[in-house]
Amino acid sequence: MNRESKLEDLRQAIYAAAELLPSQGPITAFAFLNPLQGMESLPFDEAMSRVKRIYGAEAYLEETRYFAKVQRGRITVEDLRTVIEEDLGSNAHQPIGGLCDRTELRLSLLANAIHCGVDRELDWLIAESQTLWRFRSDVSSSSKEAMIKTTMEWIGNSPADSHYALQSLGALQSNASRQTNWRSNQESTTLRLLWEIIRSEIGKVFKQELPLPEVRHRDLLRRTNNIDCDQWVHELLVRFCSAYLDQGQSNWRLPQRHLGFFQSFCAHHRQSMILTRRWQRGLAKELARIVDLGMSPLESIEESLNILGVNSSEREEYLQATLLALRGFAGMIWQTEIRPDRVKVPSPPGTLVEYVAIRLILDRLALTYGARQILREIGPLSELRKHLIAKLRPRPEVSEEQQSYVLFQMAQILGWPANQLASLKTSQWAELSEELNRFSSHQRRRLFHLAFERGTIHQSLNAISCRVQHPPISPSKPKLQVICCIDAREESIRRHLEEIDDEIETFGIAGFFGVPMYYRGAGDAQFASHAPIVVRPKHWVTEEVVYSFEDSHRNRAQARRLIGSTSRRLHASSRGSIVGAIVTTLIGPLATAPLLSRVLFPRLTGSLHRTARQFVAPPSVTRLHLERNANSIPGESDEGLGFTVAEMAKFSEQALRDIGLLESFARLVILMGHGTSCLNNPHESSYHCGACSGSPGGPNARALAAMLNDLRVRRILHENGIEIPEDTFFLGALHNTATEEIRFYDLELLPSSQIAGLKWAREKFSLATQRDAQERCRRFESASLGISLNDALLHVQARTEDLAQTRPEYGNSTNALCFVGRRRRIRGLYLDRRSFLMSYDPSRDDAQTNVLKRILGAVIPVCQGINSLYSFSAIDSASWGAGTKLPHNVTSLLGVMDGAASDLRTGVPWQGIDIHEPVRLQFIIETRPEQLLAIIQGNEVLSKIFRNQWAHFATLDPDSTQVHCYVNGQFVPYDSTQASLPTALSSLEWFKGKRDHLPFARILKSQ
Amino acid sequence: MISLQEFFYYAGATTVCCPLLLLAFIGLLPLLGVTLSERAMSRATQLCVWVGAMAAISIVAVMWSNDIFKVPLDVGNWVNIPEEHFHLEIKFVFDRLSLPFLILSYTLCGVVSAFASRYLHRDIGYYRFFLFYALFFLGMVLSTLAGTIETLFLGWELVGLSSALLVAFFHSRKNPVRNGLRVWSIYRISDGAFLIAALSMHHLTGEGDFAVLMGAEPWPLGVAAVTSSQALAVGLLLLVAAAGKSALVPFSGWLPRAMEGPTPSSAVFYGALSVHLGAYMLLRASPLLDQSVTLRVAIILVGGLTAIFAALATSVQTDIKSVLAFASLTQVSLIVVEIGLGFRYLALCHIIGHVCLRTLQLLRAPSVLNDYRSVEDAIGLTNNSEPSSLKVSVFSNWLYRLAMERGTFDIFLDEYIVQPFLATFEWLDRMERRWLSLLAGKSNSQTTVISNVPASQNTPEALNAEEGELS
Repeated sequence: MNRESKLEDLRQAIYAAAELLPSQGPITAFAFLNPLQGMESLPFDEAMSRVKRIYGAEAYLEETRYFAKVQRGRITVEDLRTVIEEDLGSNAHQPIGGLCDRTELRLSLLANAIHCGVDRELDWLIAESQTLWRFRSDVSSSSKEAMIKTTMEWIGNSPADSHYALQSLGALQSNASRQTNWRSNQESTTLRLLWEIIRSEIGKVFKQELPLPEVRHRDLLRRTNNIDCDQWVHELLVRFCSAYLDQGQSNWRLPQRHLGFFQSFCAHHRQSMILTRRWQRGLAKELARIVDLGMSPLESIEESLNILGVNSSEREEYLQATLLALRGFAGMIWQTEIRPDRVKVPSPPGTLVEYVAIRLILDRLALTYGARQILREIGPLSELRKHLIAKLRPRPEVSEEQQSYVLFQMAQILGWPANQLASLKTSQWAELSEELNRFSSHQRRRLFHLAFERGTIHQSLNAISCRVQHPPISPSKPKLQVICCIDAREESIRRHLEEIDDEIETFGIAGFFGVPMYYRGAGDAQFASHAPIVVRPKHWVTEEVVYSFEDSHRNRAQARRLIGSTSRRLHASSRGSIVGAIVTTLIGPLATAPLLSRVLFPRLTGSLHRTARQFVAPPSVTRLHLERNANSIPGESDEGLGFTVAEMAKFSEQALRDIGLLESFARLVILMGHGTSCLNNPHESSYHCGACSGSPGGPNARALAAMLNDLRVRRILHENGIEIPEDTFFLGALHNTATEEIRFYDLELLPSSQIAGLKWAREKFSLATQRDAQERCRRFESASLGISLNDALLHVQARTEDLAQTRPEYGNSTNALCFVGRRRRIRGLYLDRRSFLMSYDPSRDDAQTNVLKRILGAVIPVCQGINSLYSFSAIDSASWGAGTKLPHNVTSLLGVMDGAASDLRTGVPWQGIDIHEPVRLQFIIETRPEQLLAIIQGNEVLSKIFRNQWAHFATLDPDSTQVHCYVNGQFVPYDSTQASLPTALSSLEWFKGKRDHLPFARILKSQ
Repeated sequence: MISLQEFFYYAGATTVCCPLLLLAFIGLLPLLGVTLSERAMSRATQLCVWVGAMAAISIVAVMWSNDIFKVPLDVGNWVNIPEEHFHLEIKFVFDRLSLPFLILSYTLCGVVSAFASRYLHRDIGYYRFFLFYALFFLGMVLSTLAGTIETLFLGWELVGLSSALLVAFFHSRKNPVRNGLRVWSIYRISDGAFLIAALSMHHLTGEGDFAVLMGAEPWPLGVAAVTSSQALAVGLLLLVAAAGKSALVPFSGWLPRAMEGPTPSSAVFYGALSVHLGAYMLLRASPLLDQSVTLRVAIILVGGLTAIFAALATSVQTDIKSVLAFASLTQVSLIVVEIGLGFRYLALCHIIGHVCLRTLQLLRAPSVLNDYRSVEDAIGLTNNSEPSSLKVSVFSNWLYRLAMERGTFDIFLDEYIVQPFLATFEWLDRMERRWLSLLAGKSNSQTTVISNVPASQNTPEALNAEEGELS
């Protein structure tokens, strides 16, 4: 192979490894994507079995947490048994060691609190605690008696060949002379005997299972000698990467940034400093050599890999591990490189490769220094790993003693008396031991998780199948139609609206309303993407103040500029030296006013602040610049803004066809996007609309409403068979999911004939938002359970004005379900804000289900991405999530670190998922199985998610009540004969006084 | 009608006892098996802060209306060994220096407790935070009001201890613990210097009482009763102590590293109150400074050097907490310069203004994205290729790198102080063992049991615990 193609292979290996990096991007445009997106080409179970080695992260919750759910009844023993049997298939009832069958064995391990501490803890338990004196407290007294009796009898007429029995007979007699309590003596002898037998027999057959040694030198060095080279390398790299990525935080930018990552790093670290860290002493010389030889980054990578002794067969794994060692920053570099449209200061192509080159050079130097600490004479680095592996002390997942202790507990639970155990053959012990090894912690948690998910799945499928057995509910002549985002947060407000008035009909659509665009508000400086993260918009839209307010707009903009530049100057100078001294001395004491008021009286301060801002905010009468000349090219410039009439008609028609709203239009149709507001929260964007790349969806709703009101658009729609009545008016709105305020757009365009209708609608909305606030408050521990409607609204508003509030809202936390189908079939179902709801009418679709194809292409990846991010963040908050918010430190205006310096933390912080149940999303799609299969086969992204079970799928037959679910590669009819659905008179009655997740229910009132 | 004397006694005792009671409440009740709810802890804290603050304000009001400038509150000698000339005297002083600082401490601690009670809601460390907070609060009040150097030392130690514990608040990660330890070590150095200073003061005047050393006149009018060279010796020790506590050169490295705790603790503790404690102590000892020009020059030099370095470092920081840490340091070192120059009222005003402003900025640190965006929205996009104030040259690049390396002070401490120190003691350890084995007549290899951190201690469990660590 020639040199060029060899280097190209290296590049490809790096790009392949980059797929595994976090895909988060800048925190101000929060991307809800599966953190394991790079592994979606593997089946879910297989991916989960690899994450520990690849990421060092947990795939499932800890066993104790699952067991707590078993105890609470959230996971039932029945579900556990079912998943074990399904998992084992034909081997389910194979006997193990002649004692019991595999299902029984596995179930007893899951359904009982089996303790398995570290060796030293076990030594203590055996020597000091009651373990060998008393049976476990969960062993029934009858089974205890039986075991004692059998054992005693066995000892009594012990066959001469059993040395255990003789041994314990001696012990029993010697104990008896000392102890008066014959009863407890028997119990203890039974247990001691049991322990002795198990301990010695397991000792004979136990085989250690050793994991493969790590591939990186640093991991080996840390394990053998507790020297952590990454600690040194990262201190340097974190500082340089954040300086390189900086979007404007520092006043003094990295001087030679334009040279690129590799060259600017070399330029900076070639200079000699007054002092350098010991491990870095050779760095300047090494960089000088590399630069003087004119090496490219790829050439340097190759050289480094050769020096490190990484041969070509393990290169991919090595590069992958190297990239993932500081994955937050590496991922951010990669994101700024491949999505330059999402950041202000992008990175040029090839930056990630340059980063790897630098990282490997630093790794080499640190390793050389680190190895010298332990080895007086250091050979070539390429031999280091061999040397370290030889020194590696084995670290089995389970030790001999731990396994014996587990068996000891199981023997008590399952009632295996000593004589039965003593008669087992060595091969049977081996079988038992091997079975326990095979049912490792990972496997146990996998089954726990399956049983956990099974509970949610059944709850969802039961609820839907029971609900559809009742007639669909839809107003024959709706008075008001509301189109919301599919977001799980909108489930409750839709339900409340429908409960309040039967004449209201609601729909769900992806929150960008089918109008992908870059948008800039009247007071904004920058365009932001308002489209799902996977889509790159092709249109630009701005908000413009109407001409009659032009003067006021100009004045206010000037005032804002003045305030802005003053506050910037003030902030900047408070950080400076001499001017800073003057500013802090003179103005500093004034800071107590905002300090005290913001912290002690958050709501009052908030409203004062808002009022004051009104004076300088852009005038409220604005329009979207929505129309573009047919022959100009879309772009950021004035003539490039907007859509042509044909494009508007296309988007409008698609949106209406998607949700199946083609006739019986109400007079007023409200398109309601959603956004949020909060204070002092770097993760604000994660509470906005996930389908709008972490921006509020209001402008999209407003744009679609304006398009649908356009008579030219309506004419084209009419030609295409969609008849919108002349007196129907579309109104854009923005639902603030934190404060529950609803803002209507373009009210001045409302025809006077619509005013009465809007007034009526606003009354309904105001009640619905209050009820929504009340329903949300049940999740907040700081709100009392009996909170009144009005207090609830005040409470949720106060949360957004509080500097100290880390949970302004819970976002999409607790999501578990996604329903795609006709709302009327499930209207009146209480889904506890846990379901994404997409409207789709199969009866309006064509024979090839083209509409469903289009819908699912967006809905499945978006909802599965949101669900995965929440779920993985909840499973291992430290690895997949951002950990706790409390020490977060905003870096480079792009992300957050923990405390003074750490890797960038991606994912949802702990405060956003502490009530989330990490389960894979259950899709229920109203279509026939074969149609769904056809759609999924035609789409690569969907088929990965579907085939590899990154989500659960089920269909609801459009013409009957039959539900099919996808199990083991095929759709099978779901048996809902046992299913039942509780009923309640209203949502309030159902959720009142309860904090935890609620079962789904049918609300009777809306019928 | 109670007499003025009695009033001062009771009100003064209240200001000191409030934090003491709070510490007892939060610290002792759980020892008796009582589980405190979040609400109980935050209520108790607020109550203590309110009562104490009211007492402090009433003292100010009464002193003002009666034209009194100094009120001592003597709690007496707690240890008295006349033969050894040793006595431990607890005494508090209310004067024009301590009262503003006291009210400031009360205000900020109150604000921070209100903030933290919501910010840490549901966190598993909620109780721990409020315990350390109570410790800090008590330390702050004691060292503010201290009338003797022993009392000051007591408060000073409590502040140091609670600060280090709060830096290491998130003890499941490695970095907070490591940085907490660094803060603690530097505080040890500064405490060592402080203790020697205290002893020499006792030696010089036979008293730890500031009134004896600095003259009985109310601050800042006192005249120190020592010679110039004595003042220089004690003053230099105090300067080392202040430099450690206020992160002056060369101890500056700990301040940005201390930003590991939850935001409210960084806000009030390192960013605002405790970092000013060194400067406050120098202010308290300011009559001493008048006695020696050399001492004042030394103070100005240390302060000035730190100010230049910190201003340089501020401008290259890319994360908001480091920016604020270095910005704080810039102001603190300017305050020290002011003290060196003798502008005592200016320094006091500067401290108060700076503390308030910086606390607000630190509490609002997570808003930086929003602030940046709203400024950008108001004044338009800032030019990215904005030329920096210094022209691109070899020198400016070098300066940038120096600022990025944070003046290499940490490297200096690590490589030239800590490493040789450790190496010496490791060598002594080896020698001792060799000597012992020689005495015992055994070969060297058999006596290596007591070695401090052998590689064999890296048990799998210890490593497992670190597994979740990323950086």
